[in-house]
Amino acid sequence: MLQKQGLLALILLFSSGLFAQTKLIRGVVLGAENKQPLEGATVVVNKSEHPVVTNSQGRFEVELTQDKALLTISFVGRESYETEVKAGQPDLTILLKASNSTLEEVVAVAYTTVKRSGYPGAVTSISSDKINNRLTPNITNALQGLAPGIQTTSANGQPGNSSTIRIRGVGSINASSAPLFVVDGAPYEGDINALDPADIAAISILKDATAANLYGSRAANGVIIITTKQGKKGDAVINATLNQGWGSRAVKDYDKLGTDQYFELYWEALRNKALSNGQTDAQAAATASSALVSNLGINPYGAAYPEPVGHDGKLVASAKPLWNDDWEKGMHQSAKYTQAQLSFSGGSERSTYYVGGGYTNNDGAFLSSGFKRYNFRSNLTLQAKPWLKVGLNINGASTSQDYPTSSDSKQANVVLFGRTIPGFYPIYQRNADGSYKLDNIGQRQFDYGAYRPNAALPKYNLIGSMPLNRSRNTNENVSTRTYLEAAITKALKIKTSFNLDYTNLNSLYYTNPLLGEDAAIGGTVQKNSNRFLAYTWNNIATYDLDIASAHHINLLAGHEYYYLNSSGLSGNRQNFALPYLYEPVAASQLMDFTGTSDNYTKLSFFGQGQYNYLGKYFFTASVRRDGSSRFSPDSRWGTFWSTGASWRISEEEFLKPVNWLSALTIKTSYGASGNDNLSTTNGGYYAYLPLYSIENNLGNGGVVPSRLPTPGLKWETNLNFNTGVDFGFLKNRIYGSFNYYRRTSKDLLYSKPLAGSTGFTAISANIGELRNTGVELELNVVPVSNNDWRWLVGINVAHNKNEITSLPQKEIISGTKKLMVGTSVYDFFLRQWAGVDAATGNPMWYRTTADGKKETTSTYSQGTQYYTGSALPDVTGGITSSLTYKQVELSFVFAYSLGGKVLDADYISLLTGAVNPGRNWSPELLSHWTPDHTNTNVPRFTTDDLGFTSTSSRFLYDATYARLKQLSLGYNIPEKLLGRIGFKSAKVYGLAENLLTFYGHKGMDPEQAVDGTTYYQYPQMKTISVGVQIGL
Amino acid sequence: MFNFNYNCMKTYKSYIYFAALVFGLSACNKQLNTAPTNAVPEEIVLRSVANLNTLYEGSWRALMDDFYSDIYGNPGFKTIALVSEAMGDDVALITTKYSYAPVYRFTQMVDKTQSRNNAIWNQLYKIINSTNIIIANVDNVTGDATAKQVLKAQALALRAHLYLTIASFYQFSYLKDPLAKTAPIYTTPTTDTTRGNPKATLKDIYTQVFADLLQAKGLLDGYQRTAKYKINKDVVNGLLARAYLNTGQWLSAAAAADEALKNYPLMPPADYTKGFNDVNNSEWIWGHPEIPSQSDGSYSFNFLDVSSPVSGYYSFMADPFFGELFDNGDIRKTLFSWDNNPGREGNLQYKKFRFRDDETGDLVLMRSAEAYLIKAEGYARENNITEGAAALNALRTARGAITFDPTGATQQQLIDAILVERRKELWGEGFALADIIRNQLPVVRKPYVDGSGNDRKVTITTPDGVTKQVPAKYHTALKFADGTPFVANSPNYLFTIPQTEEQNNPNLFN
Repeated sequence: MLQKQGLLALILLFSSGLFAQTKLIRGVVLGAENKQPLEGATVVVNKSEHPVVTNSQGRFEVELTQDKALLTISFVGRESYETEVKAGQPDLTILLKASNSTLEEVVAVAYTTVKRSGYPGAVTSISSDKINNRLTPNITNALQGLAPGIQTTSANGQPGNSSTIRIRGVGSINASSAPLFVVDGAPYEGDINALDPADIAAISILKDATAANLYGSRAANGVIIITTKQGKKGDAVINATLNQGWGSRAVKDYDKLGTDQYFELYWEALRNKALSNGQTDAQAAATASSALVSNLGINPYGAAYPEPVGHDGKLVASAKPLWNDDWEKGMHQSAKYTQAQLSFSGGSERSTYYVGGGYTNNDGAFLSSGFKRYNFRSNLTLQAKPWLKVGLNINGASTSQDYPTSSDSKQANVVLFGRTIPGFYPIYQRNADGSYKLDNIGQRQFDYGAYRPNAALPKYNLIGSMPLNRSRNTNENVSTRTYLEAAITKALKIKTSFNLDYTNLNSLYYTNPLLGEDAAIGGTVQKNSNRFLAYTWNNIATYDLDIASAHHINLLAGHEYYYLNSSGLSGNRQNFALPYLYEPVAASQLMDFTGTSDNYTKLSFFGQGQYNYLGKYFFTASVRRDGSSRFSPDSRWGTFWSTGASWRISEEEFLKPVNWLSALTIKTSYGASGNDNLSTTNGGYYAYLPLYSIENNLGNGGVVPSRLPTPGLKWETNLNFNTGVDFGFLKNRIYGSFNYYRRTSKDLLYSKPLAGSTGFTAISANIGELRNTGVELELNVVPVSNNDWRWLVGINVAHNKNEITSLPQKEIISGTKKLMVGTSVYDFFLRQWAGVDAATGNPMWYRTTADGKKETTSTYSQGTQYYTGSALPDVTGGITSSLTYKQVELSFVFAYSLGGKVLDADYISLLTGAVNPGRNWSPELLSHWTPDHTNTNVPRFTTDDLGFTSTSSRFLYDATYARLKQLSLGYNIPEKLLGRIGFKSAKVYGLAENLLTFYGHKGMDPEQAVDGTTYYQYPQMKTISVGVQIGL
Repeated sequence: MFNFNYNCMKTYKSYIYFAALVFGLSACNKQLNTAPTNAVPEEIVLRSVANLNTLYEGSWRALMDDFYSDIYGNPGFKTIALVSEAMGDDVALITTKYSYAPVYRFTQMVDKTQSRNNAIWNQLYKIINSTNIIIANVDNVTGDATAKQVLKAQALALRAHLYLTIASFYQFSYLKDPLAKTAPIYTTPTTDTTRGNPKATLKDIYTQVFADLLQAKGLLDGYQRTAKYKINKDVVNGLLARAYLNTGQWLSAAAAADEALKNYPLMPPADYTKGFNDVNNSEWIWGHPEIPSQSDGSYSFNFLDVSSPVSGYYSFMADPFFGELFDNGDIRKTLFSWDNNPGREGNLQYKKFRFRDDETGDLVLMRSAEAYLIKAEGYARENNITEGAAALNALRTARGAITFDPTGATQQQLIDAILVERRKELWGEGFALADIIRNQLPVVRKPYVDGSGNDRKVTITTPDGVTKQVPAKYHTALKFADGTPFVANSPNYLFTIPQTEEQNNPNLFN
């Protein structure tokens, strides 16, 4: 087994004050694979209690009291090394090999840290190297593929947006299923964008009751603990990083028809419609030829071809479009990615510091979108008195997100806009001969296209108006974590900490008075300002006792008070007399002004006991009682608990001889945690009162009933069972863990649907039960590890089954899903596509008749809804690899998701065909039904709405995909070259984010909302960058 | 390991710390009681007549100025008017425009899974519940007796208006089958134990409507309203006239209509061309003013207004056959023109509705013109040709149309003339489908073609000054979506009870 020092011991046990008139031994400690100096490695002489720590050059010196001594050199994450030294020998060079397993590391769990080995809880940790240097400013986007059981989807890839994270499945139906974020010991309520990934030292993901339940009321959906970097004792270390990259969308948009094919196809639709109106072939052809240009509002073939498609349905010979403008391309911009970080860290005997600052500029792939951040962090610790420790972490960030509309079907949606308008509509105004119409100073003029049909977004030209408009969110964040820790006795410590997250969110949405959509009303402006203040005050006592080295007891008791206030103002005005003024003051017409404020508080008491015997048998138990202001005084208190045990079998004598076995622990845990996170529609912060919401009318005060009374509403409870095994084989060249879990969410905070005729569509109630069952495997292999080469491969796999186990009524239909016992929360319930009727060309759906026969119908509204598959994936996970050869490092993170379905409404909008003339059409429409071509999945082509594009299983696509989330290639410049310029270390590298995507349904970014529906959202960005990292 | 000196830790520090902790905790406990700022608890609403009146005002706002289900296609109560018009004979909807094409094609309202069905249903009943809360509590709250009386009357009349709307669209004509099960009736406030009422018959619904209206009428004696959106006796009479007409009580309908129209002289011709956006119009009996900060209802003008540059969709075009119904000299005829804008060429614009400059427009709910037509129809159905023709001609004269000659006219001729006049006068106001259902007529839509089936051409002058001939645009949905012809009393004309109601009301079919 390995001999190692824990991180805590490293920090606390530092001492360098032992000087005697004895023999001096000097040396340097380097990483074996890259020969980089290791700062903070401990050097122990003869297993004494007074280690020496290496400085920033990796150098150390120790005094020997005798001629000979045994040195033990150790460093976190590396295998320890022992060597015998003699007085007077030359300087030592010690190479420490990276250790294989992470099973021994120290990880953060609720309110404390534990060593992973033997800990009964299910914790996954993610080390800083996986997240520090990622080409996304938002940490949630960097987690994908790194840990089993974490489903991360980024439905909207606009720079600065977060991903949706689900730990071990979807845990609630109407209340939140989002995990709790904890930063440096306190729940984090600030903007996740305010955290610079470069400042993060480690992330722990707490998945089961034992690990998470001390956060009781908020642990139901798992906890993500982020620990930021602290300084280490020793010389100041200066690190600088600079990245410059370039981005574009990760996958190409859907294919679209060209102008010629479009015109011929539309002609066919018009002809077919005229035929069905009773016109003769000749009349119908004439009708089609003459209506074509008039219906589309434009003739790109010029005045020479007033009817560009002849009565034979073919383009007139020699007719050529005079222009073909690429709106999709016009909506894109060249996107730069710039990231710079500078940090200083160090410490003395009594204090440590980490001070860092960063700048990130992440342009979006679409016009006027992007994200900018300036941030700083200062983490200080001070040993004020021998018994008193003080800590202060401050993080500040100012972010600015240019946020044009990038979801839903609004005309102003930058993603949808370029996709929608075909190339035969000009971007700039043109004369009939195709030449540009110039204004009096010879400039091209944008064409706002009031003549375009509705489907081609008349009056809008975002390419022209976006640069004049503004949609910006500017946030200022300050987060502080401050604590005072007193050691009352050797075993008893009391810690009080006050933690504050303050966010000021401002948004300005402005449309200009000159051109485009709102020019007719003189432009509009909306300004919102929201103040968001959350603080947590907690007081914790811990008692840590070793009895005769065999029994170890750790007790913890504490209380926590949480307060949140959110307060906002918003107003909008319109009609600017003058251009280029963006603030409301310049708009002459007041439209609306409003403001609200909300408070949310929680009070908690908790305790935990941990016990182990001989480092082999571990037991933990915890209990927590929470009161939440969301519930009525009679039902607001809930009690949550957990218990867990583990057995480090590999420590038993009978397994010691088994050489190939390095580690083996089995563990199990069970507990209950809570959820009070109701959505606003479900009662929000005030989930017990009968409420009337304010709806004023023409200057008179007005209210409308908004919720029925629910005085008995209480906590949703999550019962979480976990059992698993941690293993390591062949000196931990193969190691990992396997877990099975069953999460049962009961007393769901549920919006029980009511008949609309009662005047309410739902009432909040604790009803229903949901179960997530799954297995997770994390497997790490070190195929190669020697002085030059080191290769690590990690694979994680998770399977989760989501199942409703109890409902208040037989079935509940909600949108495209239906809930029933035995199904999941996201099972599609749609009309089932039955193909195209070969005889008539009409679309068909299945219906089940009253006597149970399944037949087809061409009337959509008569189709029966059926279960047509789940949106939830079967298996999610990732593959990571890092390969080091001397100074070269190559690593990647590959994330995958297998199974599940997506209902692609984005694609439907391109299939509506002649029902929506003027919008881009998919080439798939070319395969439509004709009397000669009856075997097809696209019905006959007409301007009538046959219902083809109505929501049905026709548009469900397999959601399976895999994505190369990160690829990194780096080179550490050798020390001998650096010495001359005074650098301690330097690394040049190339990075790529989302470089490759493997998926089936072209055009759609495979990362969509968890419920499997698309919403015209901003696709993921692919970014490639080069960078340099310098240490001084 | 540690070499600290613990003696310097003074014990009193622990006490101070402990005291601070206890003090802090007790303060925290009180903080667990919070209250919203954008909503009020029920007990406050039910405290006084002034407070309860806010529920009436809020209900009115929710009725008129809420996008139902937050969808722009559902701009408040006008949604129902738009649906009714789109399913009639005279709006040749541009189907490539937003929101109403499936309605126009008769595929939406018949489909219980469509969100618009849900939106309308839920909103109407939400407001019915609010009126029930007022009616149940108004007698017990503190405050001025007269104010309580007026509030009660207005709540009763509003409830009747909503049930009348439901009776008009969710079932065939009362005259076809008064015992047809239609929709549930609620007359008491919903509580947390309410689970839904069964469908009631048309007869039950109208019984409730008449009871409410007659009670309201009595309570509103002497009430002087301060704004035209408030319900007074004239509005109640107008609602009574509609209810009597629907149920075949012809003379009562005529009498109530006659009472309703008294204080609202027909507008001078020039006012007809002002855009139907002004609640101060002399013949508006009931209407809702719109202001820039409260203009969701005005969004309906984006569909109806086919000529203003600020309009969004201008999709409610007139059918050419509709334009041909008007006589020369009729002020309404001057509102027609063939659209000459690129992309819309050949559509027939009927410029009845126009936005004001600030993109608002008041919403009409009841005009004396309608009352004249109810009066005319009431008499005509009772075979009183003279009185019927007189009422019709009062309106025709005001519009500058050729009057109806009662001499030798049959009852049917007069009724037909009145029904055509209803289409002409009330176009765009929401009566089209209601009249088709009420009178058990088929929808009539014909191709506007010449004798040999070719599109008829009209002459337009484009904005560039080019004069040209283009085919006149006409109806594109000439049959039901399944290809069958329009027939009277088709289920496709009715609003369907939404699937969510079926699912969650265990008593619906009892």
